Amino acid sequence: MDQRLAELVEELTTSGEPQLEPGRMKELKRICKSSEEHISHAYHLLLTRLREEHAEMRFSAFQVVQELFARSHQFRTLLISNFQEFLELTVGTDHEQPLPPPKEVAQKLRKAAIKAVQDWHEKYGEAYKQLSLGYHFLKQNKKVDFQDVHARTVAERRREEEKQKRLENIYKEKVKRTEKEMEEMSQEIADTLTEMENCFQLLMPDPLNFGMNEIDPELSKQTSANEARPASPFSSQGEFTPSSLGCMDDEQPCCSKDILPVSQCVTADGNEEADEKPEQEELDGGKRSDVRFSGPALDDDDYQTFVRNHGLISHKYTLDLEISTDIKVQENEDNTAIINSVMDAHKLLRNKFWPSVQSWIQLLTRAGVNDDQLRCAIELKNKMETAMKKYKEMDISFKARKRKVMKASDDDDEDEDEDEFVEVPEKEGYEPHIPDHLRKEYGLEPQAPPKAPVAKASTGAAPLSSGTRLRGNEDELDPTCAAATLKLLRDKLPKLPSPHASESATSETANLEDPDSKRRKLEERAKAPLMPFGLDLHYWGEDQPSAGKILKFTSEHRFWAPSEVEEEVENKEITEMLKTRYITFAGKFEPVKHKCRAPMPDGTLCERQDRIKCPFHGKIIPRDDSGIPINAEDRAREEKMKFEKQAAQPEWRDPEFMREIEAATGLDLGSSKSNGKGQKKKGKKQKYPHLTDLKQQANTSRSRLEKKVFNKGAMKRVMKAMNRVDQRKHEKFANQFNYALN
Amino acid sequence: MLGLMAARQAGLDDPARLRRAECTRRVLSLELNKDRDVERIHGSGINTLDIEPVEGRYMLSGGSDGVIVLYDLENLSRKPSYTCKALFSVGRSHPDVHKFSVETVQWYPHDTGMFTSSSFDKTLKIWDTNVLQPADIFHFEGTVYSHHMSPIATKHCLIAVGTKSPKVQLCDLKSGSSSHILQGHRQEVLAVSWSPRHEYVLATGSADGKVKLWDVRRASGCLSTLDQYNGEKSKASSEAANTAHNGRVNGLCYTNDGLHLLTVGTDDRMRLWNSSTGENTLVNYGKVCNESRKGLKFAISCGCNPEFAFVPYGSTIAVYTVFTGELITMLRGHYSTVNCCVFQPHFQELYSGSKDCNILAWIPAPRDPIPDDTSEKSLPQQHVNPAYEDTWSSSDDEG
Repeated sequence: MDQRLAELVEELTTSGEPQLEPGRMKELKRICKSSEEHISHAYHLLLTRLREEHAEMRFSAFQVVQELFARSHQFRTLLISNFQEFLELTVGTDHEQPLPPPKEVAQKLRKAAIKAVQDWHEKYGEAYKQLSLGYHFLKQNKKVDFQDVHARTVAERRREEEKQKRLENIYKEKVKRTEKEMEEMSQEIADTLTEMENCFQLLMPDPLNFGMNEIDPELSKQTSANEARPASPFSSQGEFTPSSLGCMDDEQPCCSKDILPVSQCVTADGNEEADEKPEQEELDGGKRSDVRFSGPALDDDDYQTFVRNHGLISHKYTLDLEISTDIKVQENEDNTAIINSVMDAHKLLRNKFWPSVQSWIQLLTRAGVNDDQLRCAIELKNKMETAMKKYKEMDISFKARKRKVMKASDDDDEDEDEDEFVEVPEKEGYEPHIPDHLRKEYGLEPQAPPKAPVAKASTGAAPLSSGTRLRGNEDELDPTCAAATLKLLRDKLPKLPSPHASESATSETANLEDPDSKRRKLEERAKAPLMPFGLDLHYWGEDQPSAGKILKFTSEHRFWAPSEVEEEVENKEITEMLKTRYITFAGKFEPVKHKCRAPMPDGTLCERQDRIKCPFHGKIIPRDDSGIPINAEDRAREEKMKFEKQAAQPEWRDPEFMREIEAATGLDLGSSKSNGKGQKKKGKKQKYPHLTDLKQQANTSRSRLEKKVFNKGAMKRVMKAMNRVDQRKHEKFANQFNYALN
Repeated sequence: MLGLMAARQAGLDDPARLRRAECTRRVLSLELNKDRDVERIHGSGINTLDIEPVEGRYMLSGGSDGVIVLYDLENLSRKPSYTCKALFSVGRSHPDVHKFSVETVQWYPHDTGMFTSSSFDKTLKIWDTNVLQPADIFHFEGTVYSHHMSPIATKHCLIAVGTKSPKVQLCDLKSGSSSHILQGHRQEVLAVSWSPRHEYVLATGSADGKVKLWDVRRASGCLSTLDQYNGEKSKASSEAANTAHNGRVNGLCYTNDGLHLLTVGTDDRMRLWNSSTGENTLVNYGKVCNESRKGLKFAISCGCNPEFAFVPYGSTIAVYTVFTGELITMLRGHYSTVNCCVFQPHFQELYSGSKDCNILAWIPAPRDPIPDDTSEKSLPQQHVNPAYEDTWSSSDDEG
């Protein structure tokens, strides 16, 4: 029974579980119940378990103790007679003997032990003097607060408090800094926000301000796919459209009022695509409203032809206006600046202000002070949020910008680049404050004096007429248009040739061969590598007579001069350096696709993907699916090696045979040792597999390094080396007083 | 015991024999008793205890926070359980309280009207018990480790004071000044003790490992220096000459008859000396764990055969027989280092003070009732306290 008791205690305490196994516990209790002898035996077993340097073992042992303590007087007497040690082992009253790792379990053990002591004291304190003494000791000397769930001693609590205080101080400091930062930054943020707000206003007027006449033609609301175009002008124009629709409804066929806005819209939108319909070009000068009303008039005349012209089948259409909420702002010349500034502001908000405001709020909430500041920060954050949301909703498409960038890189558009360069100074004379997005517009009409004032008047927001004027411009811009050539002929800019002029000039002369050479050039360029600028490029094609010559100054001393001075020294290397460039050619990385695939002892194939040589199986050779080399000589070589290896091991040391002998004699003959690493690891069985492995925990990179670094041999070696260095120094400088001393 | 009583009645035995036998039995059965408690007054460790020799009723305790408390040990309540009440205390709020740790307290040997206390605040105070005012204060150069008043002196009224300085000072209560200086030690004097046999003989133990015996009438030098090797080895190594311990000597105690002197040192040894010859009796007590940096107060029983020594041993108290060096038992109960213990000779009780602020009373266990015919009745009464009962669940498989 004693044997069984020991087994039970060992099993119970090495389970590593937070709860005891009830079956075993029951058996243990039954054994203990049978006689006092067994109780004292169990007590001693448990005490040895409690003394183990493993918190899980102690915890389990403590739980068993708790069970027995509640049941047996004998056990209580025994335990209480050694209550000091019990407290040391479970509560950790001795600071020189702290509870062993793992930490969490130790904490749990401590809590449970303190709770148990309290319970025991309540129940048995009267009868067992030492128990109550222990309780008072914990309470008054160790100042354990039994109500405190964390079961901390005073020292721990004080440490916690100090930590808290330190944190508080840090927070205070941080808050102060934040306040300052906020003061500085909030103004900036507010400015940015206002800027953004204004830009939004410009890009898309507030629905409440729709009564205004000036409506950005660029602003269009996208509607459902089929009706998108016709709907846009109306929807943007707001409330008066339905009425106009209504009034048109009764007298005109539906299709007509459908169609016209289509064309109208195309023109008004100022799209850069070339216009198809000549009749619409004639409508240039007219205002949009005029167009609308002229449309039906035209229809009335011959809507049959009109229907046919537009490829319409029926003239009975129902118009569905689906005003979708998502807005799309198209970027074009007119609003580039605004969009740019919006983008900048948004970027600033997102990248700079947003994180900082976020961090302020975090810090202020964590510090738990300054609700004023906090409110301020939250307000800022909300504002920024709305602004950013708005920006997102706007969904600005940056197509134009991207195209422009591409153009700049494209060599085809060199002339256009020129074009930009050319126009600016020219215009400056007339209008110093032309906004960026209108530049193109004016660039080509410097000689139209009547139009200049109009343009000036409409710089801020493009008026309705801008669309039409723009159309005219476009005609001129279009090289295929007659208007353009006319224009070119008309304006003769003496110093700087107009882009079209140059283009037309070249196109007329070398139009035929140009595409060919251009393409070739393009191809070459695509092939050519991009190199950073260097000295060799700087002196490209130049011959430098002075390069590589080193000038030596003659000594200016009166009589102390070197015997002969070569004033100029030619250095080939330097000359070379100016003309050469080193280009490292590392080749291209090609991932290894093959595997070693040598057969392993466990039946699998080696998975290593080395390029040439596997560190375990030598040179990688082609093998078939079962790992046998494909080439005959490889196979033969492998066979030979295997044979040699077996020959190296004496016959009688056949591992199978050895194992049998071992099993029979019970002696370790080292058969497992000869059999590679895999088995060795398996052979080393953990003593208590359920417990947390403390060695594993202690086996950190730091400890391993420590083992290496503070290794006795290593220390000695280092010492020797340092001594040697010292010695050498001593030898070298022995005649100097400050080294001679040590 | 009945046999002893009968023999005593018949006049066969010396009357002292019964007493001695009973005393010994009681001392051997000392245990921590739940019936006796000492009121918890001290907020910090207890350094010293003293029971007045006249009645053996009042006990003084000195704490390391400078507090002195007086307890009444007598149980007049006629109930078995008794908590020794604190009659008064010189608390922190008292105007004349010691500033620092009180190292030694001692009653005036002949009367409870006066007691003395010495402290790390470099003073020795003579207190009037009744008004609780210091009657006199002696100031010293260094901290006071220990002082002692002769328990039998009739011709002088000297207090021997061991301080941080190597000189032992003798303060005369009659004149209120320190009258003598005894020079001879090299380091601080941690323990002093007057002989209970010769009123002029004083023993002092110092941190230099020496124990010296003085006759205070002859101030020029000491009577003898105790030598742990009894003069054999000292010829070879002059350095270790005449040392009683290899570490500091921090405890001295005469046996009751004054014939022997017991010393403890930080070399974890205890030695018994013949006080008249200064000879090491070479009794082996084994290791006596002693890590105290200050004086250690231990006690020797009185009126027993053999006599016992109660020595603080870490957080326990070891009980040795004085003359054979046998370790009888370890008294466990304290949770921290025990600093002092004192023996109450009339009722064979032991009181011990420890760093864990507890004063524990070790009381002789009551005799087990002799089982007789009425055992059926008395058995249930044995387990009056339900806490002593086992609570195994009744069903077999439950366990």
